[in-house]
Amino acid sequence: MTEYPSGIAAVGGYVPALRITSEELADGWGQFKARGVSEKAVPDADEDAVTMGYEAAKRALDAGGVDGETIDELLFASTTPPVAEEDLTSHLGTMLAVPDEATRMTVTASTAAGMQAFAHGIRSDGRTLVIASDCPRGEPETALEHAAGAGAAAYVLDPAGALSVTDIAESSSPYPGTRFRETGSETLDSLDVTPYERTSYAELLSKAAERLEYDPGRVEGAAVQASDGAQPYRAAGPLGVERTAIGAATIADEIGDAGAASVPLALATAIDDGLETLLAAGYGSGATATLAHLERSESEQPPSSLAIAGEQYLSFAEYIRRRGDVTSGAPEGGGGYVSVPTWERSMTQRYRLQAGHCSECAALNFPPTGACSSCRSLVEYDRVELPFEGVVEALSVISQGGAPPEFAEMQAKYGGSYTTGIVAFEGPAGDSASAPVLVVGTDNDDLTVGDPVEATIRRIYTQEGVTRYGIKVRPIENNP
Amino acid sequence: MRDAYLIGAGQSDFGAFPDESYRSLFATAFENAADSVPAGIDREAIDEAYIGMVSIGGRQIGLPAPAVVEHAGLHGVPCTRLENACAASGYSIRQAIQAVRSGMADVVVAGGTEVMNDVSSETLPYWLGVSGEMEWERMAGTTFAGVYAQIASAHMAEYGTEREQLSHVAVKSHKHGAMNPHAQLGFECSLDDAENAQVVAHPLTLYHCCPTTDGAAVSLIASEDVAAEYTDDPIRITGAGAASDGVGLFQRDSYTNLPAASTAADRAYEMAGVGPADIDFAEVHDCFSIAEIMAYEDLGFCDRGEGGTLAESGETALDGRLPVNTSGGLKSKGHPIGATGASQAVEVFKQLTHQAGDRQVPDPQRGLAHNVGGSGGAVTVHIFERAEVGR
Repeated sequence: MTEYPSGIAAVGGYVPALRITSEELADGWGQFKARGVSEKAVPDADEDAVTMGYEAAKRALDAGGVDGETIDELLFASTTPPVAEEDLTSHLGTMLAVPDEATRMTVTASTAAGMQAFAHGIRSDGRTLVIASDCPRGEPETALEHAAGAGAAAYVLDPAGALSVTDIAESSSPYPGTRFRETGSETLDSLDVTPYERTSYAELLSKAAERLEYDPGRVEGAAVQASDGAQPYRAAGPLGVERTAIGAATIADEIGDAGAASVPLALATAIDDGLETLLAAGYGSGATATLAHLERSESEQPPSSLAIAGEQYLSFAEYIRRRGDVTSGAPEGGGGYVSVPTWERSMTQRYRLQAGHCSECAALNFPPTGACSSCRSLVEYDRVELPFEGVVEALSVISQGGAPPEFAEMQAKYGGSYTTGIVAFEGPAGDSASAPVLVVGTDNDDLTVGDPVEATIRRIYTQEGVTRYGIKVRPIENNP
Repeated sequence: MRDAYLIGAGQSDFGAFPDESYRSLFATAFENAADSVPAGIDREAIDEAYIGMVSIGGRQIGLPAPAVVEHAGLHGVPCTRLENACAASGYSIRQAIQAVRSGMADVVVAGGTEVMNDVSSETLPYWLGVSGEMEWERMAGTTFAGVYAQIASAHMAEYGTEREQLSHVAVKSHKHGAMNPHAQLGFECSLDDAENAQVVAHPLTLYHCCPTTDGAAVSLIASEDVAAEYTDDPIRITGAGAASDGVGLFQRDSYTNLPAASTAADRAYEMAGVGPADIDFAEVHDCFSIAEIMAYEDLGFCDRGEGGTLAESGETALDGRLPVNTSGGLKSKGHPIGATGASQAVEVFKQLTHQAGDRQVPDPQRGLAHNVGGSGGAVTVHIFERAEVGR
């Protein structure tokens, strides 16, 4: 048995709270071609692979009590990076406080990317943060689109990781055309030659499984690449595992096809469920497969934090608005403009709520620039990052059609009004600093002044082709 | 130091005028201001001009002041465009006072002009937002109405202010504006109209928000050395207060008042040697109804948190103890951004010279004008008194 330097130290998962059922989709499209999918996750208007990846990674770090500063390698896997060229790990690293000298890599172009990054991290002797995040899209009438879901998983891998990977095996063989996306296209394509696709899938998994040292009969959960809810079960033969083991680690039936995050996310749920002997089988068209066998002792379950539950069910009309199919983009009149260099200078404030204590009077300032808001001295600030929880101090609901031009398309995708307000974030000395923020995940009527909220990072808007990300908040359930 | 006097003031009609330009509206306002000077005034007498203009729609962003001054026949007059958002021409008045007091000018045009209705509905929202705090407040998706709605939410949470009290402000403004022939929305509205109107930014309805307005206004400000040449019934500007504050609401010490307005008011009262109880009527900046309620508190017309109750009481109506916005205010008269501060002086002039017609306050001696830029980043407060020249 191969000894790998790292094991799983912490697990995080995130799936957008928006869902749509197969019935609703069948009503809307006039048919529904995604086998075994009863409902799927839908990214909100301001979510993408970066923001979902951030959500999952933040949870993994929090669950493991891991400081982002201790990460040696940051790996981002996605078939849907929001830009085709530009290294997004710089954004993710800043959001998660990963040191700038950390090794970074983006793995893409295959739904196996998540497992490829995972295998790399297991083989690494440093502390690796693997983020797999995806939100594929297809043309409306295709099975690819009907199944297309969303989600992200993140793993902290290090030598002290509680969950060991006992073996990794890979395979590759040219099978072009089973699933691909042409350069410049936002939607997936497939030749749709079913026997050919099934052969590719079975052959690549079989070849890798033959090289993998494991006992198929002992596998309790098999997380297998799922382009829909039925595909993983076709891996039972090639992998030699029981269908029940596949069922124990399948979530595509509930969230749809999560692309490169499909297997890492299914594996995360199986780990979170406490399963001890696991198989993870990533497959991507081209074609490649990456398999990993995991085993842990009874007492060594890695900490995990998953936010994967569906909370809001969309109508078909709401769904196609979210997709941008019936919105017409930004108005022509121009919008409020914050230059990219200006935005870049404030990135630690927008990504990590970096505030500052006045070196003269100790008042907490946000953003920590210019004269102190309390003593008015022009000072240097002692930087401090505020916790991502706060209290609403003022709010309003911007009615439909009333959004600033640069927010008009997001408002159209929301299909109505949105809430924006001022939130006080508590500082380390019991003091607080306030920031204006947009509120997500609320029905607008629910929130009042004094309510607690938690911060997250979402897309603000895209201008000149560059997406500005920053903090937004969502309500926290009151825990009496 | 020489005192400054208001010797005349006039405005164009406020409304939507496709056949007018920001220059032609200014020319009309200047003509009306000149006509209001009892002894008349020649263009040659004008030493300086300050023109408030945000330049909504773009048009002449650079050099708009020469453009309007030349169009109005004030050839060669030194002029400056002033921009402090909705307080632009409140600052025109402030600059005019400073020019007179410094001794550099004897007669100064303090005006403003704005055309807002000739741009597309896709373009206007951009321009309406240019005075918000861009890097944070605006990036939270906040609009101008949204900021005042946030203020309303905080005022309601802290003091129990009710939305119906905002609607009382709107009803009063429209009642006054219906008596002002220059008003854009010169019709009365009911409490139900205001309460049940479309929501713009919760909790504010359409009737809690000022309209989009074309218009211009001019006040003529003279030194004590020359004022008697133009009028036997001069109005002395006894108090001139101004203050600035963070552009974004989140940058302020309070979300339930405008600290710059309180400071500006304190400075104006101190200079004039009077207090809130000495004011006979006021024109306040009611871009949104909550702004008038805050103005009552910031100007000391009532205690903090009592603004809503004061609005509801009727004491600020024409027949009340302290009439506020007899012109109809921004809500009914209209709000051509760069012209609003100068237009407030027009109403003060009319009231103090007994030319306000049906909305005349009985024999007022002292009036106040309160002009707010954005959501409180820049504020002017001026106090005007009937006086003998050289008193």
